[in-house]
Amino acid sequence: MSNLAIRFDSVSKKYRLRHGWYLSIIDEIARLANRTAGRSSDADYFWALKDVSFEIDHGDTVGLIGSNGAGKSTALKILSRVTVPTSGSFQTNGRVGALIEVGAGFHPDLSGRENVYLNGAIMGMRKREIDAKFDQIVAFSEVEKFIDTPLKFYSSGMMVRLGFAVAAHIEPDILLVDEVLAVGDTAFQAKCLNKIAELKQQNKTIVLVSHTMPSILQHSSRVLWIDKGTVRAFGDPESTVEQYLKHVHQQGASGTAEPAAATESPIRIAGISLLDATGHVRDSLAYGEEAMVEIAYELAQPVDDPVFSVTFHDIRGVPLGGLTSRLDGLALEAGARQGTVRLVLAPVLFTRGTYGITAAIYDKPIQRYYDMRAHAVSFMVDGPSVATREVSGHFVFPHRWEVVVPERAA
Amino acid sequence: MNALIELAQHRHLIMSFARRDIRAKYKQTFFGAAWAIIQPASLMIVFTLVFSVFNRVESEGVPYPIFAYSALIFWTCFAASVTQGTIAMTANASLVRKIWFPRETLLFAIMISALIDLLVASVVLAGMFIWYGVPLHWTAFWVVPILLLQLLFTFAVVLVTSAAHVHFRDIGHAIPLMLQLWMFASPIVYPLASVPAWLKPYYMLNPMAGIIDSYRRVLLHGEAPDFGYLTAALLVALACVWLGYLLFKKAERTFADVI
Repeated sequence: MSNLAIRFDSVSKKYRLRHGWYLSIIDEIARLANRTAGRSSDADYFWALKDVSFEIDHGDTVGLIGSNGAGKSTALKILSRVTVPTSGSFQTNGRVGALIEVGAGFHPDLSGRENVYLNGAIMGMRKREIDAKFDQIVAFSEVEKFIDTPLKFYSSGMMVRLGFAVAAHIEPDILLVDEVLAVGDTAFQAKCLNKIAELKQQNKTIVLVSHTMPSILQHSSRVLWIDKGTVRAFGDPESTVEQYLKHVHQQGASGTAEPAAATESPIRIAGISLLDATGHVRDSLAYGEEAMVEIAYELAQPVDDPVFSVTFHDIRGVPLGGLTSRLDGLALEAGARQGTVRLVLAPVLFTRGTYGITAAIYDKPIQRYYDMRAHAVSFMVDGPSVATREVSGHFVFPHRWEVVVPERAA
Repeated sequence: MNALIELAQHRHLIMSFARRDIRAKYKQTFFGAAWAIIQPASLMIVFTLVFSVFNRVESEGVPYPIFAYSALIFWTCFAASVTQGTIAMTANASLVRKIWFPRETLLFAIMISALIDLLVASVVLAGMFIWYGVPLHWTAFWVVPILLLQLLFTFAVVLVTSAAHVHFRDIGHAIPLMLQLWMFASPIVYPLASVPAWLKPYYMLNPMAGIIDSYRRVLLHGEAPDFGYLTAALLVALACVWLGYLLFKKAERTFADVI
């Protein structure tokens, strides 16, 4: 067997845009009539992938990244043979297993046991294989007690665990994983990650789709970045993810303009900016540096003790932490029609990555907001990277490690 | 040929789907598998009332109930397979969208589950043979090849209708109506002999006509089936399966995109 696991040779995939859920025969006749009248156009089509070529070797773990709608799922669908490319060719060497949607083949009326067999069969396992691995699968899923209960009585967490357990035991040569790292509780997630690490050690080829850059960096040996249906970069994880984040960051920066708040709001945000300690506007910071978030506001009428808030997000918009001015007590300059408040971060404690800021002004009891600008500013931080595995998560607190020396009585 | 090899490789999947279909069909029902009998039996009762009590339709010299039922159970098997087979892809849309497997396995599974229903329903047929004292002949063994022919033809039909239904959901609406008309265009409630001679050449273009008539010959009358009709039906069925398979396999490639 050659060392090549996956090969895409100028693969393109075109989808027809449609306006309803399905076509009726009448629609189809209308479309044909339009086409013969020469009125059909490219506007009816959408290229999910355009001229995509890449090669993946056996034993590689490739992270597939890109924004929503970039074509990642289409690439996976072609790899798993669910759909065929419109043009171009592809080739896979070895058995392909897909963890695309865990439990897609589950039936609510059947018991857990029956569903394991059914799902295994759908994924191409033989009965003997499932027999041999049944106990392992059940143990992995942690639903032993309910294995003979119909699935409709399972919690969604149990269902997901059982689905992942079956999929993780297919033992394919090429495993496609789509965002399933985010299933279950933390303990189960760790189990899933260990399973992937185990498969990696067995020299399986893995294609991992995720929006979570830390897990991409942690697992991938190479990263493929797809953007608008074409390959933007394919290379070592660190630099590819960095390029991607830079790109996302620029896109975010160009899209900050938000419509002005409703005019009846007594106080509104006029602008938000991220500055360094010297007062210069910055879009990237270094770990440990001092920085400031300034919120400029305008008053239409006097407001009783407004509360300013700043929330930081990760690249997917998940809030990481927020602060309000009420915590510290902040008094506005009386009588002024406009002004600026400032949140001083001393110092910046983020790990390396891209972050976003949402600013808002609330009423005194923080029950409703006067104005909010979601994801108004995004910025990058250079600092300790999760890719090194020396840190994890989004923050590194001032800290130190010590060796505890037992005190001996003299 | 490749198709047959792939089919053999996926027999476990077919059986799993079939087991799922059967289990799911009768879970949380009070009568359970008795529904397999209730359906053809209630049709038999209605037809007996209409065509034997209210009007007298000639029934080839056997009591009308057994005359009707012996055809109805096979027709029900065909009709149920076609109805469910047609919507098989859309009913399993979440699977078809996400996971690759030979899609025709879903069709086989449905045919198997309809076949199990037929087996259950034929228990009542056996009871009727005893009740009415109709003698059973060695020719009854012909049922097996005739049934295989029927399954072949059923497969041909669902290959086309299921693929078409993915693109045009009109098919799913049209099929139950079609089947109703089709039932009256086959010798089920009346004997083949009552079809006028001038119509017969066209009438026999329907493979189900020859198939249904053959069941009666071998079961009720101890005759051999009419090989002329059956050969014609076999040729039609083979041609349809071949064409249907090509069409299905071509359409299958983009099921996930449009379903």
